[in-house]
Amino acid sequence: MSEFPKLTYAALTVGEEFVSDTHLVTPEDIETYAFAVDDHHPWFSGPSPFGGPVAHPTLLGNQALHLRHSKYNVHAGLHAKMEFNFLEPVEPGMRVRSRGRVIDKYERRGRQYMVTEFVTEDEAGTALVRGQFTQMLIPEGTRHAGR
Amino acid sequence: MPVAEAIPVGQELPALVKELSQRRIDAYSGVRPRSIHSDEAWAREKGFRTTLAQGMMSTAYVSEMMTRLLGAGFVKGGTLSMAFIKPVYAGDRLTVHGVVKETRPEGDRTRVVVEVCCQNQHGEKTAVGTASGLAPSA
Repeated sequence: MSEFPKLTYAALTVGEEFVSDTHLVTPEDIETYAFAVDDHHPWFSGPSPFGGPVAHPTLLGNQALHLRHSKYNVHAGLHAKMEFNFLEPVEPGMRVRSRGRVIDKYERRGRQYMVTEFVTEDEAGTALVRGQFTQMLIPEGTRHAGR
Repeated sequence: MPVAEAIPVGQELPALVKELSQRRIDAYSGVRPRSIHSDEAWAREKGFRTTLAQGMMSTAYVSEMMTRLLGAGFVKGGTLSMAFIKPVYAGDRLTVHGVVKETRPEGDRTRVVVEVCCQNQHGEKTAVGTASGLAPSA
């Protein structure tokens, strides 16, 4: 049985690593994402320059963004920055997994941030997407106070 | 897709307009209690006026703009870097802008770099950054 401690700035360690579960990319995932972002490109459901259908390049961003949930009980947070490098197209039928590592944490103007680098791979270990993101922690019992 | 020579620096890309309904936010983020994206009471408790869209939705809009410009050269070989500078709320309307900032050779192709931003219906920038991808050379 795993424990999921509360994510706090103090608990977080630079260098700690996360890994997601493996996820099967389905046509339904691609269709739901297309609806969510109101982008119905024909390559999402039909032929593409890569052969068959491909997913929206950012489809798997949330798998990476949620990596910290694999270890911690996350109270609340905000996404501050995102970087993607799209290396290979994501296709339905792929089984994908993201790995991440905390590369920095810092406080600025009274707010706490963590920076994670990640890679999302298919089942053969081919890197599909690399990148890094910065997330603000909203500690328990506090309000963000808007921006 | 246009060859690199047909994409001049300074070219403004066709803007995208996106309506961020709660239904689309729910489809993007999932519906969970104690989520600032889908639980309005929780979002208010955390200091926001209502639920927020994920910043990642703005990266998807920029990705759409870049795929329209460069096609396969964005899906494989694209980059995207954005900072989320203001919250985007359920019910907001975002306009996504892009201007070609630079073109540079990369192998036998050309990397096209675009400065991008998202603005809400009040004209406030909510996200800024750059995106790039590969265009075939003539």
